[in-house]
Amino acid sequence: MRFIIQVVITAIVCFMFQKLFPWWTMAIGAFLVGFVFSNTGFKSFLAGFLAIGLLWLGMALFIDNVTQSILTEKIGQLFPLNLFVLTSLVGGLVGGFASMTGSLLKP
Amino acid sequence: MKGIKFVVALTITIALTWALNRGWDFGDPIPPLGKFLDPFHGFWANAEPPVTYDYALRIPGLKDKVSVVYDSLLIPHLFANNDDDLYRVMGYVTAQHRLWQMEFQTHAAAGRISEIIGNKALDFDRNQRRLGMVYGAQNSTLAHSKDSVINRMNQQYTEGVNAYIQSLKYQDYPLEYKLLDYEPELWNDLKMGLLLKNMSKTLNFGENDFEMTNALNLFGKATLDILFPDWEAVGDPIVDNPGGWKFPPIQLDSVPLALPDQLVNITPTQKAVKGVGSNNWAVSGIKTATGSPILSNDPHLSLSMPSIWFAAHMQSPHVNVMGVTFTGAPVIILGFNDSISWGATNAQRDLVDWYKIEFKDATRNEYLSDGNWLPTKKVVEQFIVKGKDPFYDTVVYTHHGPIVYDASFHGDSEKNAYAFRWIAHDESLELKTFYLLNRAKSHRDYMAALDYFSGPAQNFAFASTAGDIAIRIQGKYPVRRKGEGKFVLDGTKTSNEWQAYIPPAHNIMIKNPARGFVSSANQYPVDPTYPYYVHSNNYEAYRNRRINRQLSAMDEITPVDMMKFQNDNYNIQAEESLPYLLKLLDSAALTAEGRKVFELLKSWDFVNSASSVAATYYEVWYNTLYRNIWDEMTNSTASLSLPSDYTTIHLMKTDTLLSFYDVQSTPEKEDLKTLVRQAYAASMDRINTWKIENEKEPQWAWFKNTSVGHLLRIPPFGYHVENGGNGSAINATTGSHGPSWRLVASMEKTGVKAWGVYPGGQSGNQGSRFYNNLLTPWAEGRYFRLKFPHTEKETAPYRYYTTTFNSIQQ
Repeated sequence: MRFIIQVVITAIVCFMFQKLFPWWTMAIGAFLVGFVFSNTGFKSFLAGFLAIGLLWLGMALFIDNVTQSILTEKIGQLFPLNLFVLTSLVGGLVGGFASMTGSLLKP
Repeated sequence: MKGIKFVVALTITIALTWALNRGWDFGDPIPPLGKFLDPFHGFWANAEPPVTYDYALRIPGLKDKVSVVYDSLLIPHLFANNDDDLYRVMGYVTAQHRLWQMEFQTHAAAGRISEIIGNKALDFDRNQRRLGMVYGAQNSTLAHSKDSVINRMNQQYTEGVNAYIQSLKYQDYPLEYKLLDYEPELWNDLKMGLLLKNMSKTLNFGENDFEMTNALNLFGKATLDILFPDWEAVGDPIVDNPGGWKFPPIQLDSVPLALPDQLVNITPTQKAVKGVGSNNWAVSGIKTATGSPILSNDPHLSLSMPSIWFAAHMQSPHVNVMGVTFTGAPVIILGFNDSISWGATNAQRDLVDWYKIEFKDATRNEYLSDGNWLPTKKVVEQFIVKGKDPFYDTVVYTHHGPIVYDASFHGDSEKNAYAFRWIAHDESLELKTFYLLNRAKSHRDYMAALDYFSGPAQNFAFASTAGDIAIRIQGKYPVRRKGEGKFVLDGTKTSNEWQAYIPPAHNIMIKNPARGFVSSANQYPVDPTYPYYVHSNNYEAYRNRRINRQLSAMDEITPVDMMKFQNDNYNIQAEESLPYLLKLLDSAALTAEGRKVFELLKSWDFVNSASSVAATYYEVWYNTLYRNIWDEMTNSTASLSLPSDYTTIHLMKTDTLLSFYDVQSTPEKEDLKTLVRQAYAASMDRINTWKIENEKEPQWAWFKNTSVGHLLRIPPFGYHVENGGNGSAINATTGSHGPSWRLVASMEKTGVKAWGVYPGGQSGNQGSRFYNNLLTPWAEGRYFRLKFPHTEKETAPYRYYTTTFNSIQQ
C-alpha cells in the first residue's frame, strides 16, 4: 500500500514539476518523494520508475489520441524502438534512479 | 555503507540526466533523449489536435488591433488599420508557421549550416561565403536602409518575427530545433538580404563560363558554335516586335573578342540542374469567356517540405493583396490585388562573369589591372562547426568580386584564379518592386515598380481589371559586345568589365500585343531586331511552343481551361524525336519484347501522363542515348556542360556523321544507328530491373517517383507523389523539381477571382495536418479558390479560427 502511495504521489508531484519546469526537474520531485517515503533502495527505484514511466506513457498516449497520431508515426521511424516504450523507459530510468537516491539519503 | 550507496546512486542519477539532456553523435546524430521524449515539452508537444480555437495575443509595438482570420486552408487573412501593424503582424504570423525554415534558409545562404549539422556541411558553407552571398546581402541591407519606406517596413516585420521568437519556450520550438538541439536566433535585416541572395543563387548562378571555356579549348570554336549556339532556331521569342525598338542603344567601344586559350581546372561545386524554369501567360479579354484578362503563373523550383512558398492575404487601408511570399519577406512576391495580377518566370539572362586574375606573387596581395598593381582585400571568414573547433578561411576580394576557387578550395593552383562578378553582389532594392506591385493599380504602376528590380532577371507577366496585359523582362543587364560573357574574361583589362547597364526603358517589354496574349517559358526573349546582345546558357525550346501553339488556337477561355492547361503533359520533345528514333531502329532485328515496346511507342500520343508506360520507355531510351552521345563531355576530366535536348535532337536529324556518336570507351567506331539500338536495348534492361525491384508496371508516375523531400532530408518528413509531367511539358514535374506554385487569376471588373495550389501546406510543423494537405491536390492538378474578402465580416463562411493581436498597454 505504502508502495502504491509512493508511486501515486511521485507521479502527482512530478506532473506538477513538469507542468512548470524543464523535464529534468522531475528527478528532483522523485528524489524528494523517495526521501520522504524512505523505502528500501530497490523498492524506491521501482516506485520512481513506475511513477514516471507511467506518467510519461499516459501523457504520450493522451497526446497521441487527441492528435490522431499525427507525429507518432513520423518520429517513430527515426528510432529503432517503439516510441511509447522508449518514452516510458527514458522517463522511468531517470525517475527510478532519482527516487532511489532520495531513499538512500536517510540514515 | 549507506553513504557510499547514496553517492553511487546520486552519481548515476546526475550522469544519466546529464547524458539525456544533451545530443550525441555516433555517426548519426541522436537528439537529447530526455528533453526530446518528454511528453510535456519534447516532440510530443508539437503534435497539434485537429480542433483549434480563437485566441488573442498581445505583442509589443502594435499601434492598433489586428485580426488574422485563417481560412480552411490555413491561409491567414490579415486585417490591419495601418501599414506598420500589417507588416509587424505579417512577421509574427509567418514565424508562427515557418520559423525553422525562415532561419534555416538564411543560415544556408550565409554559409552557416555547419553550425547545425557539423563538418559535413563545411564545403557547402565555404562555397557560400566565397561566392560572396553575405557580401551581396550586406549590400542589399545597405540599399534597404537608404529607402525610408522599405527600411520602415523591414523594421516592423523584423520586430514582429522577434516578438514571436522571444515568446517561445523550449516546448514551442519547431521540431527541427528539438531534433538537432539548437535554438532560434533573432531575425534581422541582413537575413532578408540573404533570402533574396538565396533566390539569386537558385535562379541565376552558374559556372557555365568555365564549361564553355573548356569546350572551346577541347573542341574548337567551330564545333562549339554547333553544340552551343547563342540562339537555337526554334520557337517564338517572348517578345516578337520586329522594328519596334525605337531607341538609340548604348554602344561600347569595340574591342576584339579575346578567346581564352587555357582549360579551367576547377572541380565544380554544383552542376546546373535541369528542371528549374517556369511558365506564365496572360490572355487578353478578347480571348476569354468573361471578356476579362486571365493571368496564369507556375514557377518551377526544387520541390521541398516545407514548401518554399507561404500564402497570405494582407490588408490595410493602403493595400489589399493576396498571393504567395518567401518565408521571411514582408511582401507578396507573386499574386494579385484588386486591380492587377502579376507572375514571374526566370529570364535566364547571363548576369554572371568570371575574370581571370593575375596576381603579382603567391601572397596574392596585389593583382594586375590595366598595367597597375592593385591591392586585394582579404576577408577572414569564421565557421562555427558543431562538435569541432571553428574553421577559418581567407577569401581574397578584387574589385571584380571574390576569388571563389583557389588551391585550398576546388581549384588546382593559386595561379589559376578567377574572380566572380555577379549582379547579386550589387546594392539593389527588389523588395521595393514587390512593395509597389502589391499596391499597383495600373500598368503604369507595374512599370514603375519593375524599375527597381535588378536580379535575378525575371519575365514579369501582367494583367489588370482595366483590361491590359503585358510582359516585361526585367533585370539590370550589363551592355555586352557580341559573344562577351560566354567564356571566362581577362581580368587584367578594364575594357572587359561591365561598362554600362541597359537602361530600364530599353528592356524587352510589350503591352497588349495583337495576338491577344503574352507568355514566357524561359525561352529566348526577343526578335533579332533588338539592338542589344542577349546571352544565356540554356534557353528553353519546348514548353514555350506548346503554350503558344495552344493559346493561339484557344478562344472563349475560362479559368478552368487555364488550370487544365497548367497541368498539360504533352511532350513536344517526344513528338519531335520519337518517330525519328523509331525509324533508326531496325524493327525486324528486335527481340519479341523489343517489338512489343516498339508497337507501344509507335502508338503513344506523346503525353507524359501519370499512367503512361510508353512515356517511361521513351524517357529512359532517350536519356540513355543522350548520355552515350555526349560521353566525351561526361568522361572528360575538365568540367563541361552538355548540349541541350533541342540541339541534340536537331543534330541527330541533320548530322549523321557527327564524331561524338563514337563511344570513346569502345574500340569500335559507333554511328548514330548503333547508338540508338544500343540505348534501346539498355533502356529495356534498365526498365526490366526496375520492374523486378518494384514489382509493378513501369507507369510514368511510379518510375519518375517525384520526391518532395524535407529540407534536411529527414525521410519521414518528406513525401513521394504520383503525377505526370516532364521538364519539357507545361506541367514541368521531374523527379525533384516542378511547379512550386500554380495561380490562375481572372481579372474581372466586378471582383478578381483567383485559384491556386502549391506542393506542401501552410504549416511548417510536421505535427499539423496543414503540413502536407495541399500536396495530393497539387499532384492531381486540383486547385483551391483563393478567398479574397474585403472585410473581416465576409470571412464568416470559411473562417477556421481567428487570432486577434492587441498592443501591450503602457
